[in-house]
Amino acid sequence: MGIPSVQGQHAKPTEYEVKATYLYNFSRFVEWPAQGVQVQSDTFAICVLGDNPFGPALNATVAQETIAGKSVVAKQISAPQDAVNCRVLFISSSEAKRLKEILTNLGAASVLTVSDLPRFTQRGGMVQFVLEGDRVRFEVNSAIAARAGLTMSSELLKVAVNVRRSVQLGD
Amino acid sequence: MSMLVSGTALLLAGMGLFAYDLYSFRVGTVRDLGIKAQIIGSNSISAVLFDDSRSAETTLSALQSAPHVMSAEIYTPDGVAFAGYRRDRGQSLPPPPAIPTGQAEVYRFQNGEVGLVRSITFQGKPVATVYMRSDLGAMHARERDFALIVATVFLMSLLAAMWMSSSTRRSIAEPIVRLAETAQIVLREKNYSIRAPMNGERNELAVLISSFNEMLAQIQERDAALEKSRDHLEQQVQERTAQLNVANADLEAFSYSVSHDLRAPLRHIAGFSQILSEDYGPKMDPEAQRHLDRILSGVKNMSRLIEDLLKMAQIGRKELVRVTTDLNLLLKDVIADLRPEFEGRQIDWRIGGLSPVECDAGLVKQVFANLISNAIKYSRRREVAVIEAGQVEEDGASVIFVRDNGAGFDERYADKLFGVFQRLHRAEDFEGTGVGLSTVQRIIRKHGGEIWAKSEVNKGATFFFVLAEKRQGLTRAKAAGAPAGA
Repeated sequence: MGIPSVQGQHAKPTEYEVKATYLYNFSRFVEWPAQGVQVQSDTFAICVLGDNPFGPALNATVAQETIAGKSVVAKQISAPQDAVNCRVLFISSSEAKRLKEILTNLGAASVLTVSDLPRFTQRGGMVQFVLEGDRVRFEVNSAIAARAGLTMSSELLKVAVNVRRSVQLGD
Repeated sequence: MSMLVSGTALLLAGMGLFAYDLYSFRVGTVRDLGIKAQIIGSNSISAVLFDDSRSAETTLSALQSAPHVMSAEIYTPDGVAFAGYRRDRGQSLPPPPAIPTGQAEVYRFQNGEVGLVRSITFQGKPVATVYMRSDLGAMHARERDFALIVATVFLMSLLAAMWMSSSTRRSIAEPIVRLAETAQIVLREKNYSIRAPMNGERNELAVLISSFNEMLAQIQERDAALEKSRDHLEQQVQERTAQLNVANADLEAFSYSVSHDLRAPLRHIAGFSQILSEDYGPKMDPEAQRHLDRILSGVKNMSRLIEDLLKMAQIGRKELVRVTTDLNLLLKDVIADLRPEFEGRQIDWRIGGLSPVECDAGLVKQVFANLISNAIKYSRRREVAVIEAGQVEEDGASVIFVRDNGAGFDERYADKLFGVFQRLHRAEDFEGTGVGLSTVQRIIRKHGGEIWAKSEVNKGATFFFVLAEKRQGLTRAKAAGAPAGA
């Protein structure tokens, strides 16, 4: 093959290594509005709120990567209000108790929310990891993303195991 | 010929077009496959990035509508097979060609298929490679179609060419063939009244045919004129011959009757002169006696002359009785008969070597008698006379000769030798009537032969003759042997 690689041939990537990659990949299939995000213009922040399940995997994934000319950085945050500066926010399972608060806090900010938390897309989240056996899949709620000014590419929707298009929040 | 040329041109043009079409079709096939690979790849980016091979396979299954695509395979940048599509189950997959660095695509024609690998990038990064294989069924189908079209065009042009050539044949070749046939018939049958059929057209061929016919007409005309003049000539010859025969017969009858009628008065003169001499001889004076002797000798001469002339005239009337005759024996008889003429002389006879001949023995004996008698007469002043008679072969003809070493004659006058009463010697020197050689010539000519002579004064003479009717050989022998003519 044209692009020889030894990675992946040796060891099967761990669940969170996969998720770290996906986290980065999601951002490649989502369009953010041109204005309205008060973030530093030269970086593209992928933030982890709460306990970091990725270990060094996320940093490794985003290293040297750019999106729309901006270098991607991984950030560890603990305060929900810090999340508005992020483009992608992974809400760790440790934040289950205050999920509602976190989402409310974000409001209509153009932040792509991702989490492992169950029923996340029914509770106001945009992307939720699910496991099918040992395969990492995800479902999305495109309506919630649209409300935040984010456009999910049809390519992304195509590979999602489930696409919700409702802003009606369940519990 | 023209059909061959146009057929070849057509075939070459067809092959050229075919080659170009195949080439462009190949290029098109590769481009098409590349586009397909790009579309498949583009639609599978998210599937690869999110490890969703089912989604990729759904995308790939769209290839079912592309019947020539044999297989499509998506690999991750690591080279791991991600998703695949096979048109036919259980098909083994040949290893994909490697993409050279710096290129997005590579293709390979191999084993009747084309394999293409395309690298798919997303946002500037390689995401996947797509490996697709397509059979060349489309190409073969196109080859078939093309061959069919070329064959059809070729066949139609051939038919058109044949139709055109047959029409050319009708208007040009066939009239020429007819003309040639006519010419051959004319040649074979020598029938100049035949005419080549006209085809009713007004072209160069019609001119040719009418010229040919005109030529035939002229030949026919000339032929007729020739035949007419030949008939006329034949008629003339017949007329002249008849006239000649009549004249000849008249002449012979005349000379016979003259000779015959002359004998009676001559006999009176001779008889009464004899009586006069016997009864009154002693009473006459010697002068009168001498005159009477002269009369008697003149009568004797005249009698011999008449005898000879009668003999000659008889030859003309006599029918030849041809029998096989031994000329050697004949010569012996002749010499025996002539013995009184050379009594007391010394003669060296060289006779012999003559072949038997079909001839009238009596007449030929006269010929030899005359010639030998001449030879004896003209050689009498030689102390030893040499007389030869024999035969030489000249140009296939047997030429008989009689030779002496006598007085000979001047060849300038040879043409006078055989004329009646013509003599080359004075009677005082050698007596004679001048009828002998003329008689000889008549006998030989009656046999269909010819006689001629060669001589020099005082060096003897040779007489040649042939009896057979071999005129050609004879004529040449004459020309060579007697340039002065005989």
